Amino acid sequence: MDLFPLYITVKVSLTATVITVAVGLVLAWVMAKREFFGKSIVDVVIMQPLVIPPTVLGYYLLVAFGKSSWLGQFLSDGLGIELVFTWKGAVIAAFISSLPLFVKPARAALEGVGSELEDAARLLGKTELQVITTITLPLAWRGLFAGAVMAFARATGEFGATLMIAGNIPGLTQTLPIAIYDAVQAGDYATANLLVGIITLFSFTVLFIAGRFSRVRF
Amino acid sequence: MLDISLRKRLPGFNVEVDLSVDEELLVLFGPSGAGKSLVLKMISGIVEPDAGRVAVANETLFDSGIGVNLPMRMRKVGHLFQDYALFPHMTVSENIAYGIGGGNKDEARKKVGELITVMRLSGLEKRYPQELSGGQKQRTALARTLAAGPRVLLLDEPFSALDYQVREKLRADLLNIHRIYPITTVLVTHDLEEAFMLGKRIAVINNGTIEQAGTQEDVFYRPLTRNVARFMGVRNIFSGKVAALEGAHLVIDNPDIGMVKAPLPPGPALSPGTEVSFCIRPEEILVIRPDRVLGKVQDNILECMITGTVGRGLTTYSTWTAGGQYRQRRSFQFCA
Repeated sequence: MDLFPLYITVKVSLTATVITVAVGLVLAWVMAKREFFGKSIVDVVIMQPLVIPPTVLGYYLLVAFGKSSWLGQFLSDGLGIELVFTWKGAVIAAFISSLPLFVKPARAALEGVGSELEDAARLLGKTELQVITTITLPLAWRGLFAGAVMAFARATGEFGATLMIAGNIPGLTQTLPIAIYDAVQAGDYATANLLVGIITLFSFTVLFIAGRFSRVRF
Repeated sequence: MLDISLRKRLPGFNVEVDLSVDEELLVLFGPSGAGKSLVLKMISGIVEPDAGRVAVANETLFDSGIGVNLPMRMRKVGHLFQDYALFPHMTVSENIAYGIGGGNKDEARKKVGELITVMRLSGLEKRYPQELSGGQKQRTALARTLAAGPRVLLLDEPFSALDYQVREKLRADLLNIHRIYPITTVLVTHDLEEAFMLGKRIAVINNGTIEQAGTQEDVFYRPLTRNVARFMGVRNIFSGKVAALEGAHLVIDNPDIGMVKAPLPPGPALSPGTEVSFCIRPEEILVIRPDRVLGKVQDNILECMITGTVGRGLTTYSTWTAGGQYRQRRSFQFCA
């Protein structure tokens, strides 16, 4: 029994989730606390991966990060990072598709911390960074955590976009969902059942944890 | 010492406030929607005025003329919000200690302890805001504000969220606290009783502008505008033209009532023909039965008819119809 798909899935999803939370937190904060021109457009762009078909998303990524694009060339020649047909490509796919699932609850959680509390902190002599670390984040962390869990789950289940950019290379980029598809295609139902069982158990756990933590206490 | 001059344009509403506050407790009194809270927010920096100046003891916090706009954290302005804005994830002592600057932990602890005693919060140090009563929340918020060592204290309707009985006690507390920490304070309220209990000086704001600022007596007995008179509970306000000036008095002609004699108001001199408003407080009306002999009273005697009485707590209001020969339909009310 080859457990490589499980390993690569965990590796890709965890890496993607870390990036999602880091990038998503900044985006969510800006969306929640700042007014700027074109905010609704930015919102639409961030939320795109929720509605766009994953294969289309994967195609965009392939075009954006492929060898023929300047971004792909810069990454490959300048930084030595190859995305297409590598696990890093799978990370990008998982990151982009899970971003809205984090940003949406995170933004709501940050907005939920009333501006009056933050103003009170500022008036008590605190800098913006102190306000964020001592008031905003501690009061919003449940929503942020729930969002991160959802993002992680989405990253784990990523299929279409991953297939487009990272391909289906056993032992290299073949993640769990793709391995399940492969196993079914090959008539290997024993493997498919096992992998499906793992994913199902995982999904239940994730929703349970997210549910427990998203309950607002304050 | 707080000096403010604020201009702010909002849709359908303009704020134009100039005010100077000494080391005292000034009450900013006005109806809902008069712009009271907005004025406080412009002093503390939550809302930026379009133009104007805010200065505390000669330090400029905001000046549109020279482009100064200190961030909130550097203003040292204590702002007590209407619903207190206590940090729900911190205990009472953590809330109070939050704004104490400097690294000296012992001193901070001492300060927190002192405020907890003064604010009668002993025993509640480890409680969270959601476990406190309204009055306890308010005192915690006030302690937190004072702990940061503000130079100016802004109190936005501090008693509005409390029960009547609690309010009474806390008003007395506040005066006491202001004696212990004599900080320049601006208290906003729309409650007349509260305004008179707390503020030796009262500024009456209406529709974004200060209509009168003065001592309790000035505002109460010598309202400068019709609105101020109305807010002070005067029920009998009339319009008329100045007919003549007689030394310290002027005679006003009102088509319904006739000639009325009134003391000369402060301010710019009036000349005959000027349109004026005049008023009389219900309790200052003397009712004389028709068969009584008029003694010293010679001015402003009207023949009236009682048209009804309205009970209202301890005071009874009677509606009278006034006019020389009952020919007029204009009515006014007074306390009997």
